[in-house]
Amino acid sequence: MRTVFINGSPKKKLSVSSYLLGIVRLLVRGEVVSEQVRNVGDHERVLKSIKDAENVVFGMPLYVDGVPSHMLAFMKEMEKFCVDNNIHLNVYVVSNGGFIEGCQNRPLMQVVGNFCKRCNLHWCGGVGIGGGVMLNVMRIMFLVYAGLFVLNTVMSGLTAALPIFAEQLAVVLFFSLGAFFYCLRMGSAVNKGATCGVKFTRVLLPSFLFILAADIFFVIISIFQGGIFKGWLSRKF
Amino acid sequence: MKTIIHDLDEYYDSLFKSKCENVIRADGRYAPCQGCFGCWTKHPAQCYLKDTLQMVCRLIGKTDELVIVTDNYYGAYSSSVKNVLDRSIGVSTPFSTYRGKQMHHTLRYGKKKKLAVYAYGCMTEDEKKTFHYMVERNAINYGFREFEFHNLDKLNQLEEMEL
Repeated sequence: MRTVFINGSPKKKLSVSSYLLGIVRLLVRGEVVSEQVRNVGDHERVLKSIKDAENVVFGMPLYVDGVPSHMLAFMKEMEKFCVDNNIHLNVYVVSNGGFIEGCQNRPLMQVVGNFCKRCNLHWCGGVGIGGGVMLNVMRIMFLVYAGLFVLNTVMSGLTAALPIFAEQLAVVLFFSLGAFFYCLRMGSAVNKGATCGVKFTRVLLPSFLFILAADIFFVIISIFQGGIFKGWLSRKF
Repeated sequence: MKTIIHDLDEYYDSLFKSKCENVIRADGRYAPCQGCFGCWTKHPAQCYLKDTLQMVCRLIGKTDELVIVTDNYYGAYSSSVKNVLDRSIGVSTPFSTYRGKQMHHTLRYGKKKKLAVYAYGCMTEDEKKTFHYMVERNAINYGFREFEFHNLDKLNQLEEMEL
């Protein structure tokens, strides 16, 4: 069984889409191939890769309520390729949006479902995740905590360091639990070639706290990148 | 102010330009959004990619009536039109608020009047429903008070229409 994971994030590294696809991949057996579509130059290579596959798992960010433009262009090429080569794949998708509500990914899911019907592919479902950027922050925090744990172990010993690390790890895991659960569930469905339905989940944080955290995050980033000093909220442009 | 975004040929481009001052021809000769958020955090309301869409969020942000004419891609905009929209997130600020009971970004240029989308090309019933829903979501996201979605049977309908 060949499964191709197609990362539709334009980012070269540290994309949320690749992170989520990595979680789905944990439970997928057989031949597994990872591809990325960033521009037209990637189309031919990725289409060749799906030719002998049984499953395709898309991972993509939510852009303006839908599929990012470069992925729409790829899907149009893929439609022609699948029809010409009589390809019938199982298709899954993991999408993540910056807004906290996972259900804001619904139009994207519908578009991928419509795409599958056009290509005569088997639409097996997807997971729409809200608060994608925070999942990435959690991932980075995990690495920071792991580093601190090593440092703390060297300085204070394992018995002192372990409870602190366990508590930090539990918090990170808790916020990401919904995303982890549905991604692993999808991985299991991919293995069986089964449908998993369309599910929506989010970072497990109340939305008003998420908004507060997102605002603080953007203030900090804007200070470092200088935007805050260049008419940050101005209407005069 | 009204703006038309379309993905049609030069004939329709001229036609739209005779009806509207601001016309963006989505010809695909520009890069896709890189998701860097620089138009919020580094150089507000401006994309770092120096092509024809570098300042597009300023034009769309100041538009009261946005008219989009697009090919149908599975109940969504064509990739070239979607590219214009993806590159226009600088119409909002990085701050978030609730709109339509859900989280959205606050609007840099305030609320707008109307979003009208005219989609052409073969369209299934499911795709019509998806497209209508997509336009409804976009209207909330961009802060349009009203929205319209039309499925065009024939392109030449555009010639007689008052867009």
